[in-house]
Amino acid sequence: MNAPSVSADLGSQLITLMAALMLVLQLLLVVENRVLTGIRLYAIQSLFLAGIAGVVAFFNNAVDVYIVAALTVLGKVVFLPWLLNRQVRRIQIVQEIEPLFNAPTAMLVCGGLTLLGYIVARPFTGLERLGNNTLAIAITLVLTGFFLMFNRRKALTQVLALLTVENGVMLAAIALTTYGMPLVVEFGIFFDVLVAVMILGILVYRIRESFASMDTSKLNQLKG
Amino acid sequence: MALLTSIVVVPAAAGLACLLPLPRRILAALNILAFGVALALGVALLRRVLAQDVVTECHEFLYADALSAWMVLLTSAVSLGSALYAGRYVQRDLDDQTITPGRAREFFVLTPLFGAAMFLVVLANNLGVMWAAVEATALSSVLLVALYNRKNSLEAAWKYVMLGSLGLALALLGTVFVYAAACKNTSEPFPSFNWSHLMPLAHQLDPHLLKLAFVLALIGYGTKAGLAPMHTWLPDAHSEAPSPTSAMLSGASLKVAIYALLRFHILTAACLGSGFSRHLLLGFGLLSMLLAPPFILVQRNLKRMLAYSSLEHVGLICTGVALNTPLTIFGALLHMGYHALAKPVLFFAAGNIHQTFHSLQFRAIGSGVVKMLPVTGLLMGLGAVAAVGLPPFGLFFSELTVISGGLAAGQITVSVLILAALIASFCGVLQQLARILPGEPKTGQAHSGRPFDGALAMVLLLGGLLLFSVWLPAPLLRGIHQAAGIIGGRP
Repeated sequence: MNAPSVSADLGSQLITLMAALMLVLQLLLVVENRVLTGIRLYAIQSLFLAGIAGVVAFFNNAVDVYIVAALTVLGKVVFLPWLLNRQVRRIQIVQEIEPLFNAPTAMLVCGGLTLLGYIVARPFTGLERLGNNTLAIAITLVLTGFFLMFNRRKALTQVLALLTVENGVMLAAIALTTYGMPLVVEFGIFFDVLVAVMILGILVYRIRESFASMDTSKLNQLKG
Repeated sequence: MALLTSIVVVPAAAGLACLLPLPRRILAALNILAFGVALALGVALLRRVLAQDVVTECHEFLYADALSAWMVLLTSAVSLGSALYAGRYVQRDLDDQTITPGRAREFFVLTPLFGAAMFLVVLANNLGVMWAAVEATALSSVLLVALYNRKNSLEAAWKYVMLGSLGLALALLGTVFVYAAACKNTSEPFPSFNWSHLMPLAHQLDPHLLKLAFVLALIGYGTKAGLAPMHTWLPDAHSEAPSPTSAMLSGASLKVAIYALLRFHILTAACLGSGFSRHLLLGFGLLSMLLAPPFILVQRNLKRMLAYSSLEHVGLICTGVALNTPLTIFGALLHMGYHALAKPVLFFAAGNIHQTFHSLQFRAIGSGVVKMLPVTGLLMGLGAVAAVGLPPFGLFFSELTVISGGLAAGQITVSVLILAALIASFCGVLQQLARILPGEPKTGQAHSGRPFDGALAMVLLLGGLLLFSVWLPAPLLRGIHQAAGIIGGRP
């Protein structure tokens, strides 16, 4: 902390770099067809999120943020991918069926969404305390997460999409407020995400049992 | 005495206690006991709130004003009714082998947890904790929706949890924006995110951030509240869930989501003036009201029809708040309470019909329900009369209050639209029920030997509705007025 301007600058660059890598991983996830690889990509993306929290904690000496970073590593890098992997093995799927849009089209759409993310974030760039364009990336993560959910029909991939949306929101929280949300809120969100994945896992399993498929486009009985 | 803490902890503890290997009767009794205690504590809370305006507990982690107290009262009343009804209902499902004993236990565990999550939503001081609690209501109820494990109920549960979570992700983003606005005003690392801390500062917050936050919260919590056009999960989940859960979803959970939305509305209005959030609420409210009647008319499934009627009522509540006069807000809050008492009766009756006829399709039920199930049929008729807003039931008065308040405020178009939508859904619901309630039963259908199943819960709720329609106790009336004052901004 002796040379705050230099170290803060370094921190800012690290954060920008890691946020950008999060976006790259998101784009890879959009075109990835294998669920298991998708889970790994999500784990790495979460690792970068934890890294960003760690950098923030280091340069601001914030104990609370260290806890958040540790929680992220434990929960989203280790536990959730393990849980998802187990579910994939339990229902034995390897390959995703054809997505709605093929890879080049999906890429194009994501490019458009990234542009949209930057436009939405523009009025708020003045609020960013860390990094450059982290908020824009966060909003892009949310938007592409929605698209990913829309594009895929396998229930587990939709769960993965939901998780990336949540990563985007957490990145937005760090980008806008430096320290993220108060610890009690982070705990609440963290707990909800864990429970959500477990419950979705149960549902996916039951859907698989009843429909002999995980294809959510077969969930089309209820109308009107 | 830790009043607020007990309201949250008692149902949660009851839910966890139901994990123990206890006989089913005890599980059902524990559910009833938990919500009974919650209702009693709710009454005590109302008294406290009237005496000292605001009650906080646990280092201001929990917070209650008149609005929270009102929400606690109606949530616990609906849940108590559901718990009273659920014992026999689950037993019959077990007898018919529609569910397994394991699923029955799941029901008794999750229902109080669902209730506890709803109580936490309305009592949380921190807006982030409120979000987490809303998500918890969705998570605790999704397996209830999927309880029957049929293809349709799994589909409904999947839609419910996916749409709900997507919506709530947006609401979380909105919550983050509010916190960013709170952070912008200070250089402290962790400014308080408590409602009691934010409200006095509301006028200093960044208006752009709050605008964006409100829009996100409207879409997010609006999805959970079933506002059109994000309501698509609502008829599915309400029709496929077991009837006690349908009653809690419609009677309490929708309103709890509206409560969360109202908190954002109050904050945004305090910062920007009421215009911005009011107009958005008005648009979504009116759209919900106008969209519901055609769907009510074409439904072929009893509980889906009831779900669309809930959409109508949710729309009316939002519209009432959006008209933003003391009278209309009062009417909207009153309507919340009356609807919470009336709609569960209909869902309970629908549950009895389902278990007797093994279908919810109007065609399969046929006519003559009153002849076959006299008690259920009669109570359903009364409940329907109440729900469509005929006197002497309170919904008539609350609807009239909103419309006359709208007219008094010079909102002629809106008031006429409300009236038209209400009349249309009135005709729709009664016309649909006229197909099944009167007449001669189809020959060859088995008689049900247990005419009084669930009658107690229905009679209690209808009796309560009737009582409070003609006589609102003075403290309750003051409480609702105070809550309306919180939403409308104090004069």
